[in-house]
Amino acid sequence: MLQKRIIPCLLLHKGGLYKTEKFKKPTYIGDPINAIKIFNEKEVDELMFLDIDASVENKEPNYKMIEDIASECFMPLCYGGGVKNIEQMKKIYSLGVEKISLSSQATINPNLIKEAANIFGNQSVIVTIDIKKDFWGNKKVFINNGKKNTKLNPIDFIKQVEALGAGEIVINNIDNDGVMKGYDLELLKEIKENTKIPIIALGGAGNLNHIKEVFESSKVDAVACGSMFVYQGPLKGVLISYPPYQKIQELLGNK
Amino acid sequence: MIAILDYGIGNLKSIYNMFKKVGVESIITSDIEIIKKADKYLLPGVGSFDYGINSLKNTPFFETLEEEVLENKKPILGICLGMQLLTNSSEEGKEKGLGWIDAETVKFDLEDKSLSIPHMGWNKTNPTNTNDIFKNLEDNRFYFVHSYHVVCNDEKNILASSYYGQAFTCSIYKDNIYGVQFHPEKSHKFGMQLLKNFGEM
Amino acid sequence: MENKDYQMCTRCVMDTTDPEINFDENGVCNHCREFDEVTSKRWFPNDEGDKKLEAIYEKMKKENAHKDYDCILGLSGGVDSSYLALKLYEAGIRPLVVHVDGGWNSELAVQNIENIVNYCGWHLHTIVIDWEEMKDLQLAYLKSAIANQDVPQDHAFFASLYHFATKYGVNYVISGGNLATESIFPKAWHWSAMDADNLHAIHNKFGTKKLKNYKTIGFYELYFYYPFVKKMKTIRPLNFMPYIKSEALEELKEKVGYKEYARKHGESVFTKFFQNYWLPMKFGYDKRKPHLASLIVADQMSREEALKELDKPLYDEKELKEDKEYIAKKLGVSDEEFEQILQMPSHSYNDFPNMTEKYNRMKKVQNFVSKLLGRKISNYS
Repeated sequence: MLQKRIIPCLLLHKGGLYKTEKFKKPTYIGDPINAIKIFNEKEVDELMFLDIDASVENKEPNYKMIEDIASECFMPLCYGGGVKNIEQMKKIYSLGVEKISLSSQATINPNLIKEAANIFGNQSVIVTIDIKKDFWGNKKVFINNGKKNTKLNPIDFIKQVEALGAGEIVINNIDNDGVMKGYDLELLKEIKENTKIPIIALGGAGNLNHIKEVFESSKVDAVACGSMFVYQGPLKGVLISYPPYQKIQELLGNK
Repeated sequence: MIAILDYGIGNLKSIYNMFKKVGVESIITSDIEIIKKADKYLLPGVGSFDYGINSLKNTPFFETLEEEVLENKKPILGICLGMQLLTNSSEEGKEKGLGWIDAETVKFDLEDKSLSIPHMGWNKTNPTNTNDIFKNLEDNRFYFVHSYHVVCNDEKNILASSYYGQAFTCSIYKDNIYGVQFHPEKSHKFGMQLLKNFGEM
Repeated sequence: MENKDYQMCTRCVMDTTDPEINFDENGVCNHCREFDEVTSKRWFPNDEGDKKLEAIYEKMKKENAHKDYDCILGLSGGVDSSYLALKLYEAGIRPLVVHVDGGWNSELAVQNIENIVNYCGWHLHTIVIDWEEMKDLQLAYLKSAIANQDVPQDHAFFASLYHFATKYGVNYVISGGNLATESIFPKAWHWSAMDADNLHAIHNKFGTKKLKNYKTIGFYELYFYYPFVKKMKTIRPLNFMPYIKSEALEELKEKVGYKEYARKHGESVFTKFFQNYWLPMKFGYDKRKPHLASLIVADQMSREEALKELDKPLYDEKELKEDKEYIAKKLGVSDEEFEQILQMPSHSYNDFPNMTEKYNRMKKVQNFVSKLLGRKISNYS
């Protein structure tokens, strides 16, 4: 049967790998290429690579970096960050990337999702939705690294995105980002109950139990983790890790 | 030398990179002369059926390819859409497939409605034999991403099956023609073994 | 490269690729003699060593009882520091555990570090060297074409470790340096990685970025400030116990789940390239020789076994090609550019400003003071 996926999610900032906490306080993790090489040798299921500067600074994606990273990946790679049009997407796919994640553009120009899905296939188009509690404690969709509140209700937006042909949706919880205390189970359960396409949970994982918890309670299809796979121990010493396949199988209750 | 057929679609670079990693020589090409001289072929493909088959048939090298595969019996491996193009037709489109293997491509119609389409992620496969491309792959898992799957009209052509809500064929073969629904170039050590096997066949 | 003047020691495997080697009437080289006469006197792989080490640990623990840490330990994922970690843990020592990430970690290295800190229940600190600066420095070094290409990584390792130690008020540095496997090294092969003057000179000439985050240790910091003001002491516990690498490896595998590297320094892709390709190709230096020679004089290997090892190729061809491509990619140069850089004419570190003069003057003063006081003065133990 289809295996649940556990996906390391890496952030590119100022040309290097960084990790954030609630989308703030970026901490330097190191060279992206070496990190990807290590993940590849650890035979991870899939990798997500997000450029957190590109949209905000209105820059073109760093094609050279994407090419170098794709050449080190022998598993599916998803790239996100600053993608605004079909031409860019075409170029990125040709560099060896399987999936492209649209985030800000999904709210600014939702039609891009439909266009891209038609040309490249739904499964190649992912929409990453950043969710944060607004001033009144309501969860809303944010863009520009959590700075701008679109005032959109997550469930409504997700349904819209699904109808436009997105292949998968990444639910990125800003409030839980980098905190390593677990996923937002309630939100994810609600989302999963209202969608048909695969949902990937991102933001909050601190240990394998959090992962087990989120799969069991919300039935999401995959999880993405940032901090957990780049930090070691309570002092957050930077060290790349990933659980061995056997351990993952035990965790998920497979043979 | 394996010619990775460039007909405008598919993840050619990743396939090339993996062949390189396992020490098999390959070249991404649409050049007729190179294709004529190649020992084996890799037919990639991602996207919709009609677009795929039309793009392929419209390449200047298509006739050469047909001759090399059907008459000169050079081995060819189709990946994902590349495998579906080998069949007679697809429910995804109106055009005819290559018909090199007697099979049809149909949409997943699962009873269990909680299972999402496309079938996307890592799944195990059961090869019917481990002599050629599945050598040393009795125990395996590969990366899949597809909404359509192939149904063989003759059981003899089934090389491997997998399970997603139902059993389905994920690899087909006939003489020198092979197809895999999953993506070896994205299935790290398992894909490396498979592509290595194809290269060494 | 054999010529009329080629000679190899009859006892170990050091040979005339060390330009300063000399042999006695039995064909035994100066390295062997130095080991017998000087070095081995500092080596205690026996009960005496056990007692000495216990005394050192007692002193260290006592002095630091009121602090959080007894000492600082750098973990690289290699056998020496990993084995050391295990022994410190078993001795109940509380080290400040630090990993210095220079951007070249192999998967095995990070896996081994993870296994060790989990086994010992220690909290890991990592100092991540700014990769953009490290990249620039490494390219500068490659263009300078001097022998010691590991300076950028090594200097960063020590500088970071020392700065970090003083930050936490730690003055004992535990080093994995050991005489059992590293007693012999030809001084002529390369200069110290601790020469910041040389580093800055090379960087000024061939580098393009300013070194802002990359910390260095200056001459006075290294030889006066740290040892005498901050009272930093270096301890090498592996010299006070029988350290047989193959046995240490087995113990690590059994207890910690340690994974073995295919060759020495497999924890860093660049170091592997440097030792197995750069040094032999550009200078004719095969680092296996001093390493195996050290094992021979330590009675851990026979000369026959060592010669067999030397017969093996330094680098698997396919691996070399892959590693070169990876290094070029990481350094941001094309394969062709990288080849061109590798072909640039070799230099000696001495072709660039360095601290040799300062160092020699200091040594003269040290010797003078030692004579005056009637005992040996050293910067570090």
